[in-house]
Amino acid sequence: MTRLQAGPVAAPVPVTVRARGWGWRYAARRAWAVRGLDLDIEAGERVLLLGASGAGKSTLLAGLAGLLDSGSGRPDQGTGDEEGELLLDGVPARRARREGVTEGVARTGLLLQDPQAQTVLSRAGDDVAFGLENHAVPPQEIWPRVDAALRAVAFPYARSHPTSQLSGGERQRLALAGVLALRPGLLLLDEPTAMLDRAGAELLRHHVATAVLAGSDRGDGAVARGATMVLVEHRVEPWLPLIDRIVVLEREGGVIADGPPREVLERHGDRLAREGVWLPRRPPAPRIPPPDAADDRAGPLMSAHGLAVTRAGIPVVTGVDLTLRPGRVTCLVGPNGVGKSTLALALAGLVPPAGGELTATPRLADGADPRPYRWRPRQLVTRIGTVFQDPQHQFVAGTVAAELTVGPRQAGIAQPQIAARAADLLARLRLDRLAQANPFTLSGGEQRRLSVATALATRPRVLVLDEPTFGQDARTWVELAELLGELLADGTAMVVATHDEDLIRVMVSSGRGDVLQLGQAAATDSVTAVS
Amino acid sequence: MAVHLDCGPVARSADSLEPPAATSEPIARANPAAKLLVALLMPLVLVLSVDVVTAGTAVALELLALPWCGVSARQLRERLRWVVLAALPAALLTAVFGGQDGTTVAGLGPVVVTSGSLVAGAAVMLRILAIALPGVVLVATTDPTDLADALAQVLRLPHRFVLSALAALRLLGILAQEWQVLTYARRARGLGGERGLARVRLVGGQVFALLVLAIRRATVLATAMEARGFGVQRRRTWSRPSRFDLGDLVLLAGGLGLAAIATAAGVLAGTWQLILA
Amino acid sequence: MTSNDTRPAAGSPARTPRDAAWAWRLSPAQGIGVAIAVALGIAVYLVGLPSDVVWFGTPLSDITVAVALGVALLGVAIVGASAARGAWRVVDIVVASVLGVAGGLVFALWDLAWPGISTAVQPPASAIFVGVWLFPAVLGGLVIRRPGAAVYTELIAAFVEALAGPNPWGFATVWYGVVEGLGAEAVFALLLYRAFGAVAAVGAGIGAGVAVGVMDSLIYYPEVLGTAGRLGYVGLAVVSGAVIAGVGMWLLTRALAATGALAPLASGRAARRV
Repeated sequence: MTRLQAGPVAAPVPVTVRARGWGWRYAARRAWAVRGLDLDIEAGERVLLLGASGAGKSTLLAGLAGLLDSGSGRPDQGTGDEEGELLLDGVPARRARREGVTEGVARTGLLLQDPQAQTVLSRAGDDVAFGLENHAVPPQEIWPRVDAALRAVAFPYARSHPTSQLSGGERQRLALAGVLALRPGLLLLDEPTAMLDRAGAELLRHHVATAVLAGSDRGDGAVARGATMVLVEHRVEPWLPLIDRIVVLEREGGVIADGPPREVLERHGDRLAREGVWLPRRPPAPRIPPPDAADDRAGPLMSAHGLAVTRAGIPVVTGVDLTLRPGRVTCLVGPNGVGKSTLALALAGLVPPAGGELTATPRLADGADPRPYRWRPRQLVTRIGTVFQDPQHQFVAGTVAAELTVGPRQAGIAQPQIAARAADLLARLRLDRLAQANPFTLSGGEQRRLSVATALATRPRVLVLDEPTFGQDARTWVELAELLGELLADGTAMVVATHDEDLIRVMVSSGRGDVLQLGQAAATDSVTAVS
Repeated sequence: MAVHLDCGPVARSADSLEPPAATSEPIARANPAAKLLVALLMPLVLVLSVDVVTAGTAVALELLALPWCGVSARQLRERLRWVVLAALPAALLTAVFGGQDGTTVAGLGPVVVTSGSLVAGAAVMLRILAIALPGVVLVATTDPTDLADALAQVLRLPHRFVLSALAALRLLGILAQEWQVLTYARRARGLGGERGLARVRLVGGQVFALLVLAIRRATVLATAMEARGFGVQRRRTWSRPSRFDLGDLVLLAGGLGLAAIATAAGVLAGTWQLILA
Repeated sequence: MTSNDTRPAAGSPARTPRDAAWAWRLSPAQGIGVAIAVALGIAVYLVGLPSDVVWFGTPLSDITVAVALGVALLGVAIVGASAARGAWRVVDIVVASVLGVAGGLVFALWDLAWPGISTAVQPPASAIFVGVWLFPAVLGGLVIRRPGAAVYTELIAAFVEALAGPNPWGFATVWYGVVEGLGAEAVFALLLYRAFGAVAAVGAGIGAGVAVGVMDSLIYYPEVLGTAGRLGYVGLAVVSGAVIAGVGMWLLTRALAATGALAPLASGRAARRV
C-alpha cells in the first residue's frame, strides 16, 4: 500500500466494537435479520462483511450507526425487536449516537448505496454543513471543516454548486465529505460503489482509503490508526488492499467465518461464490450459446443513421449508426452520464430522435410505420420490449401474475394464450412462488427478473435493457447473463446500455456482441462503432 | 402516445424553487420571514371585505412598492398571467350572478348583469390580485433554503419539521423526473393513448406508483438524515445565520400598514362591509 | 432501488389483536378529562345562552344545543390530543413532508384544471370537487398516525401549492390548508388517535369538508349564495370530503400498505408479520 499522507481532516479517534448475542428483527416480520451475533472489532481495524443476500449485513451496519430503535417497550416508537448487546467503546450503539451528537463528535458515519438518496440540501456546501449543524458544532468552525472535507474528497466544484447537477460519483463523494467532516471513529460503508461506474468507484475507494489511513503516517515512528471501518460490498477485489479482516455472516444467524482476507476467501471461496460474492480471480462465467449460421441469414430488424438524441433540450449523443440483427447484442458503453440511457430509450421507440433517422425494417414493423416512435403503445409492446434501470418504474399491476398479463392483453392476444405464456414465464424465471405477491414487495433480484419477464410476455423481437446488472450479486448476475444468452439464441435482437465491463466482456467473447462506445471524441459527442 | 398533461406552467413555476438571481433591491434582500409574514398576514385583513375601494387601493399601493422588490418583469408577467386566468371565473361569476342593485346593463332571463354586479366582479378580481402579489414577490426573490433558515431561526418553528420539509421539497424535482420515466415505462408496456375512464385509471395508476416511489425515497432520506445526527437533540447550530433586523421590521410594518390603509380607504368610502355579516 | 437483501414487509394496515387490546383503555386522568368536557357541555345546555346577543342575524339562544355539543366535543378532542400516542420520529416527519409535497404538486396540477371546471360548474354544485383539496390531511393522518399529522401534511401541501402552483389565492391558501387540516385532525383527535380504519377516514373527510364548506361559502362566494345555497354548499362539500378524501384515502392507504412502502411507519407496524 502506498504511503498516503494524513488527510487535511484531523484524525478521528477510532472506535472498538463489541457484539454479544446481538439480534434484530424488523417489525412486521417473522424472521430475524440477525441473531446471535458475537463479534469483536479492534480500534482502527478494517473489516469487510460478506454473506448471502438477506444475511443481515445492512442491518448490522444500521445497528452500529445507532439507527435501529426497539422503542424500549413502546411499540409505536420502535421499528423492531432487539436482543443482546451491541457496544461501541463499551456504550450501546444507540446511546453512543445520542452522546456523540450532544458532545459534537460523531462516533459513526454511514455511507449508503444510493447517491441520490443521501443528498439532503440543494447546495453542496450546505449539504456537508448539515451534519455539522446537527452536532451543534460552533458556527465559526463549520465552514472551515466543510472546506477541508470537500478538499479531502477532491470535490471539483464550489460550495454553492447545486447538488441537482452532480453525477452519481460526484454525489457519492459529496456524501463521503459530509460523513468525513464529522470525523467519525467508525466508518460504515454499505455498498458505496454499487451504483457507480468504474471511474467513480475508483475515485471513491481512493478517498475512503485516504481518510481511513489518515493518521497511519505519523512520521515520528508511532503508528496511530485511522478510523475503524466496516464495509459491505459484493465486488471484493478492488477493496482487498485496504482490508485487514473478513467476517462472513449467515442469514438469520451470526458469524460463520472470520479471519485474514486470503485465508477466508480460500477456505470459504466456494460457498461464498455460491452465495453471490464476486471473488477475485474467479470472474463470472455464464454460458452463452455461440452464434450459428442461421442467425446470419436472418435480415436486420432495425437500423439507425446519424441518430441524435437530446436530454432536456441539450444534445447528448449524435451521429449514431447501427444495425440491430437477430441473435446479436449491441452494447452501448460509456461512463455514467454520457447518454447511454437516453440513446437506449430512443432505440426503444420511447423518445423521439432529435436528428438522423431510426427505421424499423418491414420484418419488425410488420405493417406499421417504419419509425418506432410513431407506433401506438399496443403496436410497440409486441415489437420492442424495454427493461428499465429501476424495475419499480415498470410495475403497473397488483400481483406478479397480473403483471405478466398486462402486455399480452394490450396486444390483443387471446385469453388462454395469455395464461399459458404467463405460467411459462413464471416457471422459467423462478417467480412461481411469488405469483400472488405484490411486485413492490419483491427483493432486488426478484424485481429484476419480473421486469425482464414482463418485457418478454409479448415476445418482442427486439429487447432494450438499461443497466440490467446494476447492483446485482454474482449469482443473480450469472442468471441474468445466461437468460440473455438464451434469448439471443432464440433470435432476439438486443440493445444493452451498461457500464458493467464484465457483461460487455462476456457478450463480446461469446461472438454475439457489438460494442458502441459513447463519449469517446473530445469535443463533440460523435460515436465510433466497434465490433 | 404518452399520457399528456400540460405541465408547462407547473414546471416553469417549479423553476421558482431554484435559487433566484442575485439582486440588490431592498425588499428582495429582506429576511424571508418578513416577506412570508407579509404574504400571510395581508390576506387575513384584505379577505374581510369584498369591495372595490379596499382591493383597488391595496393593489395600487403594492404596485407602487414593486420597483423595490427586485422582481423581473418576465417573472411578474408569467405568474400574474396565471393568477388572472384563474381568478377570471370567480370574477365573472360575481359579475353575472351578483344580483346587486344598480342600473341594469344587460339581462337575459334570470341572468341580470347590473352595474353593481360588474363593480362587485371587479372587486373580486382586484382582491385576488392584492392577495397574490406579496406571494409572488416572496417566491420570486427567496431561495428555499434561506426561507427554511428564517422559519427555524427567526420564527423559531421546530427545526425537525422545517428541515424535513426543505429536504422533501428537494425531492420534488426528482419526482418530476421519475414521472417522466414512469410515462415511458407505461408506453413500453403497451399502455397509453386510451381515452375517458381508461385514461383516468391509467393516470391514477401512475400517480400511485409515483407515491410508492416517493414514500420509499422518503424513508431512505430519513435514514440518511438520521445518520448525520438529525433529530437527536433540540440544540443545533446554524451555518447560515438568518437575521431579522430593522429593515425587516420596516417591511413588515409597511405591509401591515398597507392593508390598514386600504381598509381605512374602504371604510371612509363607505364600501367596506364585513363578509360574515 | 430495493437492495438484493430483504423484501419489504407487506400487509394491510388492519389492527392486530395486540393493538385492539389496549386500544380503548383510557388512563384515569384522561377519563376525568372526558367527564369534565361532557359535563361542561351539559352545563351550557342547562344554563342556556343569552338571547339578547345577536350573531350573524341569529340570537344566541337559538344555537344553544349546537354550542353545547361543540363545547363537549372540543373538550373530548383536546383530551384526545393529549392521549395521543408518541412523539414524532424523523421518519414520520420526512414521510409526512413528502406526502405534503406530493399533495402540493397535485394541487398545482389541479389548479391548472380549476378555471375550466369552475366556469363550467357553478357553486353550490362546484362544492362536489372540493374533496380534492382535502386529501393530504386525511392521507397524512392515516399513514403517519400521530397527533398533528393531518394538519401538518395539509399545511405543507398548501404551502407548496402557494410556492409552485399557478393558483389565484397566493399564500391565503396556507390558512385554508390549516383550517382544513384542523377539520380532519379534530376527528382523529375525537377518536383518541386509536382508530384509523374506514370510519375514521370518512369522519376525517367529513370534518375537513365542513371546514372548507363553511369557509368557502363565507369567504369566497358571499355575494352569490343565499342561506339555502350555503347549506347546500356545505352539504356537498361534506359529501365530497367523505368520498374523495375519506373513502378514497382509506383505499389508497390500504394499497400503499400492500406494497410494503409503509413498513417503517406506525401504519405499517400494525400489519401482520410476514
